[in-house]
Amino acid sequence: MAALVLPAALLVFTLLVAPMALLARISLNHYSPTELMVEAFTAENYIRAVADPYYQQVLATTLGVAFLCTVLTVLLGFPAAYWLARMESNRKSIATILTLLPLLVGNVVRSAGWMALLGNEGGINAALRALHLTSGPLQLLYTPGAVIVGITAVVLPYMVLTLAAVIESIPRQAEEAAANLGATASTVFRRVVLPLSLPGVAAGSVLVFILCMNAYATPLLLGGPQFKMMAPAVYDQFVRGNNWPFGAALAFILLVATLVLTVIGSMALSRRYRG
Amino acid sequence: MTISRRTLLSGSAALLTAAATGAPKNAVAQAGGQVVIGTWGGDYGELLRQLIDQQFTAQSKIEVLQDIGNNSPRKSKLLAERQNRRGSMDVSCLSDSDTYQMMQQNVLDKLATDRIPRLGTVIEALRKDYAVPHIYSAMVILYNPSKVTTPPTSYADLWDAKWRGRVGLSDILYNYNTAVAALAGGGSMSDFGPANKRLMDWRSLDVKIYPSNEALATGLKSEEVWLAPMWLARGYMWKKAGIPLNHVVPKEGAVPVVYEAAVPRNARNKDNAWRYLNAMLEPQAQIGFAERMGYVPTVRDAQLPAELAREISLTEAQQATLKTPDHAYLLQHTASILDFWNKDFKG
Amino acid sequence: MSTLVLDRLRKRYDRTTAVERVDLTAKQGELVALLGPSGCGKTTTLRMVAGFIAPTDGRVLIGDRDVTQVPVHLRNTGMVFQAYALFQHMTVAQNVAFGLEMRRVERAEREKRVAEALRLVRLDHLADRMPRQLSGGQQQRVALARALVVNPAVFLLDEPLSNLDAKLRAEVRMEIRALQQRLGLTTLIVTHDQEEALTMADRLVVMERGRVRQIGTPEELYENPADVFVASFVGNCNLVAGTLERPGSFRTQSGTLLPCTSEAPAANDGLVLALRPERVTVTPGEGAPGDIRAQVTAVTYLGAQTEYHLDLNGTTLRASRSTPLHDDPLRRIAPGEKLTLSWDAASARLLPAETETGDET
Repeated sequence: MAALVLPAALLVFTLLVAPMALLARISLNHYSPTELMVEAFTAENYIRAVADPYYQQVLATTLGVAFLCTVLTVLLGFPAAYWLARMESNRKSIATILTLLPLLVGNVVRSAGWMALLGNEGGINAALRALHLTSGPLQLLYTPGAVIVGITAVVLPYMVLTLAAVIESIPRQAEEAAANLGATASTVFRRVVLPLSLPGVAAGSVLVFILCMNAYATPLLLGGPQFKMMAPAVYDQFVRGNNWPFGAALAFILLVATLVLTVIGSMALSRRYRG
Repeated sequence: MTISRRTLLSGSAALLTAAATGAPKNAVAQAGGQVVIGTWGGDYGELLRQLIDQQFTAQSKIEVLQDIGNNSPRKSKLLAERQNRRGSMDVSCLSDSDTYQMMQQNVLDKLATDRIPRLGTVIEALRKDYAVPHIYSAMVILYNPSKVTTPPTSYADLWDAKWRGRVGLSDILYNYNTAVAALAGGGSMSDFGPANKRLMDWRSLDVKIYPSNEALATGLKSEEVWLAPMWLARGYMWKKAGIPLNHVVPKEGAVPVVYEAAVPRNARNKDNAWRYLNAMLEPQAQIGFAERMGYVPTVRDAQLPAELAREISLTEAQQATLKTPDHAYLLQHTASILDFWNKDFKG
Repeated sequence: MSTLVLDRLRKRYDRTTAVERVDLTAKQGELVALLGPSGCGKTTTLRMVAGFIAPTDGRVLIGDRDVTQVPVHLRNTGMVFQAYALFQHMTVAQNVAFGLEMRRVERAEREKRVAEALRLVRLDHLADRMPRQLSGGQQQRVALARALVVNPAVFLLDEPLSNLDAKLRAEVRMEIRALQQRLGLTTLIVTHDQEEALTMADRLVVMERGRVRQIGTPEELYENPADVFVASFVGNCNLVAGTLERPGSFRTQSGTLLPCTSEAPAANDGLVLALRPERVTVTPGEGAPGDIRAQVTAVTYLGAQTEYHLDLNGTTLRASRSTPLHDDPLRRIAPGEKLTLSWDAASARLLPAETETGDET
């Protein structure tokens, strides 16, 4: 058995663990404009990133966007997931494929679609003008709202499918039993469906939150130059600033922030479920 | 630094860039051997193939392979391979500032001037001992003639209050935009000190920042903005695409960008590389790039058609005032320039 | 507790009719079983009573109240589901308290009634367990307590025993029946198991393909089935096709004459003789001329009972009796040997033959 697992373990190690370890190592190096990277063991990159109000702001924006998008996907995804989970089986497979379909389109292409829709000359502004609702163009593109809408659209299928899988495992008869005992539709949802879906909400939220925290293309394309989230900031340091140590430190801060919040969030949710 | 640490560093760089780049295909060598060109894909790579490679291979029997990627993976690859005895690239195409950086990192070989006879025809101001200038353009001011009736004459005119909210910038050209601000504020290519105040003034004048050159073109096309500092070559292409644009060369002197080609110290096929650099300077190839991409020839004997020359060339006087970047200064300050751009100007 | 009236209840889907027409009045405290093979419409009927399915026509009355248009949560029925449908995220006590909470019963009162209900099903010691920690039988009893604690007007059971093993099934069956009788619950139970229906129900409704075949007490259905379907579905029955030779004598398709009741339905041709196997008396030997003789084709030993498969010149019959003692000559009867048969002519009932295209509308 061990011999069979070995190639996979090696592959994971070389492709995942080793680069991460090297990145961690780089984050402790010293940056020099001429030498680029000088071998060192210093925490200066972390200290700078944590102390700098600009990067505090970038991290706060990232957390805010990720949190908002996660909440939005839960709110938007739940009804869709419920509807999907309670569908007849032959229609369900078609609906599942339709839910997956957006994932076949890359983030960049999808962002381009949003740009065409949200731009000053885009579909929405054209429609508003045609209806004489606005005179000048409404600034929709390059706003935080555009990023939130864009990311939410990207991650929604993950939430829907995760939730649907869990809702499917809730017997419909449990809902009928509650109604039979005198619960209105909203009470059935609040007292039976929602509590039993919480593991799905937790799993979906963790998945979506991680994806949102690491969003790159969408904030870059829809947020415009003034809007910064962590992933593009990391890229900036590596590629434009040539500052690999600082970029690596930012990457690790993003990683740790995501990890810590994910663990806290899922622990809180699972405690709630047990209680 | 010990050897082993260096190995670790270059190894890490190689790992990080492995996904982004990938080695060129190893084809069977022709009679004259091979030469591997590290270049961009898209128009640039395609024009290299059409205008240089075909004839080059026909004459020299040397097979040309392209190692396609963007500039940053290419730089990472050069840095990662710098300790290796034999590198994977024979010619590296990069912008002047990137090439300078590579030279600083001791990646590049000195030009074997005797092997590149056409070096003699290169414009004096563009000559370097570590790279061949391939094509160049300059940062001019593009404007929409139907909106801007009195054209600007200098970079400083972009701060005129009557253009409030009508000046557009491309985010990716942050260092050149900062250079423009420095020159407008009385600084020089070796002193960006005045730039910061100018950038903040621009900010209060509602300057519009676009995430890419293409987005800026869209803004100019929709007449959302009327003026922009931009490469003349880009302006020429956009004008051909139907965007209403004229250009002026600023009286402070325009900042040039030169796309250069250099040979890594550890290139496998150095002889072939020198021959290739020479071929890049041939007048026909130079004229081809001018016609197709709007970049100006770097050699004196490439005669452009008069019409085209008027659109993309600088006069002798304008060439004389070119504000060539001080790469040493830029390299030293690139982190703080980016920081100010991100945190203060955009933030 | 109230009476339950189903008045011309009908359910049609696009193409198919799930329930053709059900008329039924269940008296206060009566247990009525809906019995039939799967797809007969019994579950649809029950769900129309609970309010999960809206009938196409007809009415449901609980007590004097027409609840046909009343939503599920206001009907005050207590339902026990096939898979129990317990709330997996609540304790046993919370499960039982749910219906009382919905009725806004005060906390102290609620706790008292939950404890009572759990005592009733002998689960008071497991009040704080989670459902997944209980056995199937215990879960079933929680479901019963949960449905009963709210004092439902009508008690509804959907195949309540089908998820239990055979031994437990008999036990829970007795328990449900005892509870139902003690509390005087008007009850509707759905089952496909005729033994379950016969042992528990005051009255049975036999359904087949959306139609009611017969309503009656277990004895009425067994002794006096209205048609071939009921005769075959409720208990074992010899069903022999043939015609009436003369009053009291039936000619099978292979030509054998068999004694039968003198009460014959109007249709002369296309009759079926229905004779319960235990009504056939078998005696070893050829018997006298004029006796009914048969050859044994198989003997099936069932412990308390023994079943004889018989051939009467091409007509097959089954007879069953309590297994004979060791010294009884019948005990040694083997296939190929001859037996003499007799039965009370009145036990051999005549039914009209089933016609598939019958009177469906």
